[in-house]
Amino acid sequence: MRLFAFLAFVLAPIASGLAVQAHAKDTGLIFVSNEKTNNLIVLDPKTYKVVKDIKTSRRPRDMHFSADRSKLYVACGDDDVIDIIDVAKLEVVGKLATGPSPETFALDEKRRRLYVANEEGSTLSVIDIDQNIIVLEVPTGAEPEGVLMSEDGKILYVTSEVGDLVHMVDAEGGHVVQDVVVGTRPRRFAATPDGKELWVTAELSGEVYIIDRAKFSVSGKIEFLPPGMRKTDVTPVGLVMTRDGKTAYVTLGHAAHVAVVDVPSRKIQGYILVGKRSWGITMSRDESKLYVANGFGDDVTVIDAKSRKAIVSVPVGRIPWGVVIDD
Amino acid sequence: MIRGVRGFFGALAALLGAASIAAAQTPPQPRLTIGYVEVAGDPRYEPITGFGRLVLKQRERPFTGAQVGLDEAQALSRVLKIDFALERITVNSPAEVAAAVSQARAARGIQLFILDAPVEAFRPLADAIKGRDVLVFNATATDDTLRRDLCAAEFVHALPSLAMGTDGLVQYLASRKWNNLLVFEGPLPADAVMVKALENSAKKFGARVVARQQFKPGTDPREREKNDPALLSAINRDYDVVFVADHAFDFARQVPYHTVRARPVVGSIDLEPMAWHWTWEHNGAPQVNSRFQKLSGGRHMESADWAAWIAVKMVVQAALRTRSAEFDKLRKFILGEGSFDGNKGLALSVRPWDHQLRQAILLAAPYSVIARAPVEGFLHKTNDLDTLGDDEPESPCRLNR
Repeated sequence: MRLFAFLAFVLAPIASGLAVQAHAKDTGLIFVSNEKTNNLIVLDPKTYKVVKDIKTSRRPRDMHFSADRSKLYVACGDDDVIDIIDVAKLEVVGKLATGPSPETFALDEKRRRLYVANEEGSTLSVIDIDQNIIVLEVPTGAEPEGVLMSEDGKILYVTSEVGDLVHMVDAEGGHVVQDVVVGTRPRRFAATPDGKELWVTAELSGEVYIIDRAKFSVSGKIEFLPPGMRKTDVTPVGLVMTRDGKTAYVTLGHAAHVAVVDVPSRKIQGYILVGKRSWGITMSRDESKLYVANGFGDDVTVIDAKSRKAIVSVPVGRIPWGVVIDD
Repeated sequence: MIRGVRGFFGALAALLGAASIAAAQTPPQPRLTIGYVEVAGDPRYEPITGFGRLVLKQRERPFTGAQVGLDEAQALSRVLKIDFALERITVNSPAEVAAAVSQARAARGIQLFILDAPVEAFRPLADAIKGRDVLVFNATATDDTLRRDLCAAEFVHALPSLAMGTDGLVQYLASRKWNNLLVFEGPLPADAVMVKALENSAKKFGARVVARQQFKPGTDPREREKNDPALLSAINRDYDVVFVADHAFDFARQVPYHTVRARPVVGSIDLEPMAWHWTWEHNGAPQVNSRFQKLSGGRHMESADWAAWIAVKMVVQAALRTRSAEFDKLRKFILGEGSFDGNKGLALSVRPWDHQLRQAILLAAPYSVIARAPVEGFLHKTNDLDTLGDDEPESPCRLNR
């Protein structure tokens, strides 16, 4: 019995180590994109020590894993490419050409397509991943930013920062079907798990707009104001939602806080102090931890979701944009 | 000859036919035209030259700024079902501005204008449009007298006033505890006005002018006490910075590194208060700069370009939020609840007392924005932007009363 326990103790890490080699799955590694230092910093999930510094093309921003987590796609704004990173090797193994200044994107592996918002091109590029060509350019409002794909992959939602619009785009046809006006400088999305609502951050008006997806119209909004802050400091950008659709976390940019929102009642439950210009936010798979990129703090704040407290802030590089976790 | 004539009429008929088909296919949307009024030969756009034919600064009209604003409105045009347009109106002298605006209003129904004209065009224009349904965005004149004495309800000052600029500058100097200022004042009337604005700002924020030296540009050795920055700066009292007011610029460019004491230079050179600077990297500014550069053929976006751009943006935002192209609704929004994104932080709005657009001031060195005013720590009871320029109690203009 004791021997068995001992063996299990010894073998478990070896076994998981082998799993990493074979499938590169569930390493728990934390990837942070740094806009100004042109790299991804890979952090160990337990010690928060830097495991690897991956040089990328210039200005890496949004990141998405392939479904099997073997690849990580990274939009690099100043080189007009999406770098492809091999998650097992932790190095860049390929590139996809995009339109000018790609910022955020959505990935449809079934159709082998990438949908990229080109901040400076006022278009959404539809890219064929296998052929590495731009199949379509969908004209959008000026400075398109957030991109969210519907569950069935048929519709894309895109914000236009300058136009104060959310576009509904027919993914197959490649054209805007409908627009809805939201607050000033709309940035990013989260969809409620029931598929009914779309939440959009409006950076300059300091709000989250809630869009009824069936009617494609605004059904409500939430205004943020952490204690002691002025309205003008509140610049929401990133947001995530728990899988049960109960809680949303919204980064408030220059207000250096994350807002915790009860989704059904749309009530703000509290604010968590983080660093300056907090934008990117991501949740661990077990939803116990939140990771926030502080653009003007050059660090990432780790939050314990249960106690709603920041545990630690880890220096990562200049102007961190986003965080993803391989879990 | 006959063939030629027939050819002409044939072509005309074809053209008319094509036009009527096009009209039948797409019913016209309401059109919202913004007039852009400029003066041919405006001396403010002559290049600033140094000795000989050395061009120190090219100065360009801010029309491209307005065009960028119009381009950005294209997607909204579809949603709002309103066509946005710009009409460039060029007159031959400042005196003709008033008639051109009245004529555009009467003949073509244009009610919104961007004004790119010297200060002398304002008074006759204000008289001509007083009480009428016209709104004019001032994009190029910083004169405080337009906000204080002219004080006309038909204007919106999109460009910051001179006082806002010197307030921003002194806020920054005060935040560094560089409170003692040596002033070099040029011979132009505008130089004296600039120094007056600085003195007001110094009083407001606790800085002081330790000496006010009038310089006389030139190389005459008999007047070296007046034309040599070293001699002008050789005074008994110490100072923290040298402030130069020199619209001609040729003297100002020789002040840095020529002062007796090693002191930074501000004002007309080195650290200048601006509405916009091409190196501003925050609040989405790089995208605005990049759109401007593309459209202007590589030029850097400057303060007046920004002002013309924001004027168009304010009109478009008003149409978006009121869902209308009606002038009364647009004006009410712009002058009232309207809040605008100028890509430099704090949301912009129009001051009800003098119609100055509230905005941040960028304190720019040639290759970097050193600070943005309001500088941290300068607070106001309602809006920190009102620490810059004329706040309601001190403004002699009372458009809201």
